[in-house]
Amino acid sequence: MRQKKRPVGKFMMAASICFFYLPILYIVIFSFNESKSLTNFTGFSLRWYLHMLESHGMMSALYTTFSVAILATLISTVVGTLAAIGISSSRKIIRDLMEQVNNLPIMNPEIVTAIGLMLLFITFQVERGYTTMLLAHIAFCIPYVMLSVTPKIRTLDPNLADAAMDLGASPFQALTKVVVPQIMPGIISGALIAFTMSIDDFIISYFVTGQGVKNISILVYTMSKRVNPSINALSTLIILIITLVMVLVNVLPLIAKKRERRDELTPRRMVVPAAATLCAVVAIVALLSSRQTDTGLPYAGQTLHIYNWGEYTGENILSDFEEETGATVVMENFDSNEQMYIKVANGESYDILVPSDYMIQRLIEEGFLQKLDDSLLDCWDKLDENCLDLSYDPGNEYSVPYFWGTVGIVYDTTVVDYEDLEAEGFNIFLDEKYKGDIYLYDSERDSFMMALKALGYSMNTEDEDEIQEAYEWLVQCVQTMEPEIVTDEIIDNMAQGRKALGLVYSGDAAYIMAENEDMGFYLPESGTNLWTDAMVIPANAQNVELAHVFINYVCDYDGAYDNSSYVGYTSPNAEVMADLSGEGGDYEGINAYLPRTDNENDEVFVYNENTKKTLANLWSKVKIEASNAN
Amino acid sequence: MKRFSKLTIPYIAWAALMLLLPMLLIAVYSFTDQGNSIIPFTFTLDNYVKFFTDPDFLLILWRSILIALKTTVLCLLLGYPIAYFIARCEEKTQNLLILCITFPMWINMLVRTYAWIGLLSEGGLVQRVLSLLGLADGELLYTEGAVLLGMVYNFLPFMILQIQTSLSKMDYALLDASADLGASPRQTFRLVTLPLSLPGVVNGITLVFLPAVSSFFIPKMLGGGQYFLIGNMIENQFITVGEWNFGSAIAIIMAVIMMCLMMLVRRIEARNEGGKGERP
Repeated sequence: MRQKKRPVGKFMMAASICFFYLPILYIVIFSFNESKSLTNFTGFSLRWYLHMLESHGMMSALYTTFSVAILATLISTVVGTLAAIGISSSRKIIRDLMEQVNNLPIMNPEIVTAIGLMLLFITFQVERGYTTMLLAHIAFCIPYVMLSVTPKIRTLDPNLADAAMDLGASPFQALTKVVVPQIMPGIISGALIAFTMSIDDFIISYFVTGQGVKNISILVYTMSKRVNPSINALSTLIILIITLVMVLVNVLPLIAKKRERRDELTPRRMVVPAAATLCAVVAIVALLSSRQTDTGLPYAGQTLHIYNWGEYTGENILSDFEEETGATVVMENFDSNEQMYIKVANGESYDILVPSDYMIQRLIEEGFLQKLDDSLLDCWDKLDENCLDLSYDPGNEYSVPYFWGTVGIVYDTTVVDYEDLEAEGFNIFLDEKYKGDIYLYDSERDSFMMALKALGYSMNTEDEDEIQEAYEWLVQCVQTMEPEIVTDEIIDNMAQGRKALGLVYSGDAAYIMAENEDMGFYLPESGTNLWTDAMVIPANAQNVELAHVFINYVCDYDGAYDNSSYVGYTSPNAEVMADLSGEGGDYEGINAYLPRTDNENDEVFVYNENTKKTLANLWSKVKIEASNAN
Repeated sequence: MKRFSKLTIPYIAWAALMLLLPMLLIAVYSFTDQGNSIIPFTFTLDNYVKFFTDPDFLLILWRSILIALKTTVLCLLLGYPIAYFIARCEEKTQNLLILCITFPMWINMLVRTYAWIGLLSEGGLVQRVLSLLGLADGELLYTEGAVLLGMVYNFLPFMILQIQTSLSKMDYALLDASADLGASPRQTFRLVTLPLSLPGVVNGITLVFLPAVSSFFIPKMLGGGQYFLIGNMIENQFITVGEWNFGSAIAIIMAVIMMCLMMLVRRIEARNEGGKGERP
């Protein structure tokens, strides 16, 4: 072959390698960053690695990813190979039919396979979790194994196995000693494809998982909204593991080849070290993620399943609770009340949920909750009375507040005129002076609250005209103001002053203001949403007693302090609230931390099934309008 | 080998349960409106009517297909020269370059996409370099460009690998023969190289287009909440809205469109294959 200089090709090659490796390099470098910043490297530190090792969620995600991948690869390779051999020796009609069926997960968009499997597990009421994830992975890996094994079988002499059996081999021997060795390269590459597919899978795992079981993809997806450099540390660890495996797979055979001076490279030799490394990795991760349980503690060996908002617990509260009680806490996170509701309504079992007010009302109405046992609770007199006995749960028979607050406008005091805020209230989101400089929050509830309050209506209105007017208000906003509709990204983005105005929860505002002193928080006089997120115990909870112990722990001074000072949301514990907002407290002088309790336009959300559906549909239409306005 | 056909039976049962039944279930859900239960089954077309009568939904579908097309074209334009370059290197270099390209694919897709958030955000490396060169002043993150970049980044390796595989199988003596017979390099490429690499191109297009249309985490992570594609719509229906019937209908619509497009691509390939022999 003639070798020309080919400068263009070389340049493109080099550019593409840079392109592929830039993000990886970025991850590795920023995993050692001292500060939380995603853009500035401020100094070398290992804190995110410590954070990662201490995080139960991260280590167990690592373990889930690798153990599912290894099991799914093993099982799907064996089953896929046998099935491929069987099908190749079947009649043509079966062969064609099976090829079509096997093509389903390969030729369909992954999300279709994913929701199909999700519907399957739900229809047959299989509880979703680790097992369903593994089953799903096996299901989509087998076709890939067969795809790579079948061509090899086709090249085999069909009489080979018969010849072996004529010579006295049992069918099993004929299979393992004659057929399988012949098609080994196909099996190996099939196994590699299966492993790659499984370890990288997000979409299918995301839809079929449950009970807080997460692989790395799901973890990153659910955590990526708030800056958390531990993700970089975790990723660096993965990069290290993969590099190790790749080096072993590629270098060891080369060394062996040199030493033995044998040309033939048996693939088996590549696989043994690779498999051994992987198993070692899984063992180490399993060791790290499993915790020693001290049997002397009152709840040793018991497990508490919590379903809570993401990034909504203090740094140490869960590990402290585990240390004190001996119990293991498994926490799963949701992004919205609706997401939580769907899981609960489909019978997933948790011991504690932390939904918002209107959702608690709905769960009570629909019989998903159980009454609290007052004899097990010692928290009531520690809590601020402004967040007790509210309309969603009169007398607090079912719920104990976790955090509470309002929804308001965070603004950049260096850009936004305070007079504009006073004059316009929420209508400032229609003021073209701030076009392209605003964030909306991706929640139908809060967006419609803002629109309705801006128009001077009650946020609990059932009047169709008023709702329609609010819808038009929002459409006008997305069409003329070029807003970005975000969820929790808003917190870090406002803290870095990227936009001038944003609709945020008071607790996030407190955090933002603590990070950036240019930011202010404004509550329009026309009223806002006074909300509470509270702990409740579902009717199908498995460990009710431990759930009560946890509720007490959260309301107690230490637990409440840890939660509130770390997350920034207002604690219902009156003493903690006073200390954090008082002199020397973390949130001294930050008006967002103390909820407004003296404006009669402020309301608590009321659940109404019809309005809720209307708003949900209208809000997705607003988002579609926003998307189409670009 | 006939003896081994018994091995098929358990797998047929498994495939019927885990591959076929889920698809049927989506179809069943899409034709009912009972919420999350399918018993009793009442047939309705409402979910489909709802989708096709709403111009906003259709626009989303159109945009999803459009961005997937853009991704595919970009991947093809970038991937072909790279694959060609690799395929014409010596075998050892080829293996090394292929390893360089496959290696990032072993690292979690979401992790790599997450890294782009930091790179593209304001004050991030890419943004700084571009503004130094005077190329970009506005925001990069949460734009269509960011989504496109994320998709090309994630799916380009598939294209390169597929094209490289079919190019490296090619007999290079053909190129010399073509040149000896008086063809210009351009003619050789058009009449010899391109048709021979077509199967790789078609596979590459499939492997890029399919995931690009239905992707929902790339638009969500890099496009922000105001950037909505058909995949996000499906996710939304299943995870937050809870209208599985409508969500299933969208999934079916998407799957059918995909299937038609893929058949079209295959047909073009088949026609070219057929025509190859007739050329002088």
